[in-house]
Amino acid sequence: MSKFGSKQLIPLGTSALAVIWIVAGLKKYGFWESVKGPTPAFVPTIIAWLMLAVSILAFAQSFKEAKPDYPPANWMAVLAGFSIFACSFLIGMLPSLAVYVIVWLRVIEKTPWKTTLITFAVIMAIVYGTFVLWLGVLFPQGLLFDLILG
Amino acid sequence: MENLQLLLGGFATVFTMQNVLACLLGAILGLIVGAMPGIGSLAGVALLLPLTYKFNPTTAIIMLGALYYANMYGGAFSAILLNIPGDSPAVMTALDGYPMATKKGRPGQALFTANMASCIGGTIGMIILTFMGPALAEVGLRFGPAEMAVLLLVAMTSIGWLVGENPTKGVVVTMLGIVLASIGMDTLTGSPRYNFGNLQLMGGIPFIPFVIGTVGFAQVIQLMEERYKETDARVDAKLTIRGSMLTRHDFRRLLPPALRSGFLGTFVGVLPGAGATTGAFLGYAAQKAFKSEEPLGSGAIEGIASCEAANNAAAAGSFAPLLALGIPGSGTGAVLLGGLMMWGLNPGPLLFSKSPDFAWGLIASLYLANILTLIIAIGVIPFLIKILSVPLKYMVPCITVVCIVGSYSTSNSMYGVLVMLLSGVLGYILNKNKYSTAPMLLSFVLAPMLESNIRKAFIASRGSVAIFFSSAICQVLMLVFFVIIFTPVFKAILKKFKKGKPTA
Repeated sequence: MSKFGSKQLIPLGTSALAVIWIVAGLKKYGFWESVKGPTPAFVPTIIAWLMLAVSILAFAQSFKEAKPDYPPANWMAVLAGFSIFACSFLIGMLPSLAVYVIVWLRVIEKTPWKTTLITFAVIMAIVYGTFVLWLGVLFPQGLLFDLILG
Repeated sequence: MENLQLLLGGFATVFTMQNVLACLLGAILGLIVGAMPGIGSLAGVALLLPLTYKFNPTTAIIMLGALYYANMYGGAFSAILLNIPGDSPAVMTALDGYPMATKKGRPGQALFTANMASCIGGTIGMIILTFMGPALAEVGLRFGPAEMAVLLLVAMTSIGWLVGENPTKGVVVTMLGIVLASIGMDTLTGSPRYNFGNLQLMGGIPFIPFVIGTVGFAQVIQLMEERYKETDARVDAKLTIRGSMLTRHDFRRLLPPALRSGFLGTFVGVLPGAGATTGAFLGYAAQKAFKSEEPLGSGAIEGIASCEAANNAAAAGSFAPLLALGIPGSGTGAVLLGGLMMWGLNPGPLLFSKSPDFAWGLIASLYLANILTLIIAIGVIPFLIKILSVPLKYMVPCITVVCIVGSYSTSNSMYGVLVMLLSGVLGYILNKNKYSTAPMLLSFVLAPMLESNIRKAFIASRGSVAIFFSSAICQVLMLVFFVIIFTPVFKAILKKFKKGKPTA
């Protein structure tokens, strides 16, 4: 079982998804009506059956392949992404992005202050100039800002 | 010859200072908007529509036409340099563009290839539009639900089977794309499905955050392990136009796929609802049937040329049904149609006879926009390449910020950001396990169209499968479909048979 890993988890995951789609499709949304013809689950159910079949085939083939490695450092980017997401609800998106850029460059990359501030200024200028000033996107301000404004 | 004279008349309309400047402005804005991940041609044209209110109708539509057209060029920039497609048609460009720019250290040539192929494909599209536009629009109308469904099946299966090393994995991700696309409102009845009581899922999975995550954010995660082992290729990128020029050999490699995709893309563009994305995917899939000097997906010039020529040709081709029949071929076409109506013009068979100045002026402006955009696009190559000379450790936060902001701005909701982050993790895991994500994106974007056409065909035929074999178009497309499905199977059987046979 030492070979078991994401190579097997992917086809298992798609198989599970296919089963959910088939069950929900047939039980909840229907497949075919004699008068109306194909119902909302018609195509998804057929596709789910096909996905189940090829997933089983992919699962069988997966044991012949080498196991991929996932360097722990790579997950730092994911952690940072979800942290920005969570912080956006608290302090707003633009401040979260600003904090992220500075913390990332200073703490993770050990970049000198000068380079950090230049990179920070360039990124924020692009974001603010293009998305806020030009396109008029209203980014979330966060709970803290809302509380301050009352 | 009559059309040629009318086109010359169109050029006379276009060549006023105001129209040329409008065309130039449209081209510049189109390039910028196209290169920005998460905006895309539809949002770009819609956002800039108010800018044209002060112009006369001809000038306004010339600017919007140029903007739409330049968008197709711009989408390739971020796809090649950052592996983030600016728009859905550029998904295929990233497959070969990014490896050519980074692994092969030829970012200038990759951009030059994209620009040249776009220009060639677009020119073919415009020439066909000039001489056969109304006739081609009529052909497009012959594609009913059954024909469209089979065409989309051909597009999906060809990519699923052909991209990546393992066809089984290609089919798994193609199916996964269709399944994910089925979440949300049913396209025909409008009833919610597969949302499992979640309000956000009722609106489905938004495409742009999904593509930004699967391609862009997945790339960021991957870059984390590569950021300290930067290759010389990234640093040695030549920062001049001369250094970015294609060699004669490169150009010989670029030309055949660009010409083929130019014709194919124009035809796809004419089909209602198909658009530049389908054109790009089909152009790339068709290239698989032809010889490429390097394998597609490894940074091949043929790969970039085939999809870039096809998407620009499709953009030009989509003007045929819009102008000749008043039927928009895409969402962007619908916005352009709205603009035309706003200025009191009614596209349709009478447009060419009632407002020839306008109709031929617009077609002539596309030629002008094509040349202007090419000049600008080539001119900015040295500045764009500088992006690649930025060390990866600085690129990681830059791309992360672009991914988050781009995915938020398309949906104006944090849900878009969540979709981007989750699809980024999914894309990273799929890539690590050698599942190509391109078929998933293709099937995701084409699935609603495929589903609605299949169901319409069944409703029209009262449930008979025979409708998918009823017309000559269907029969030919079905034949292609079965050839694509069974060729790898036969090849595998043949290979086994040959292996088993003792040598004489």
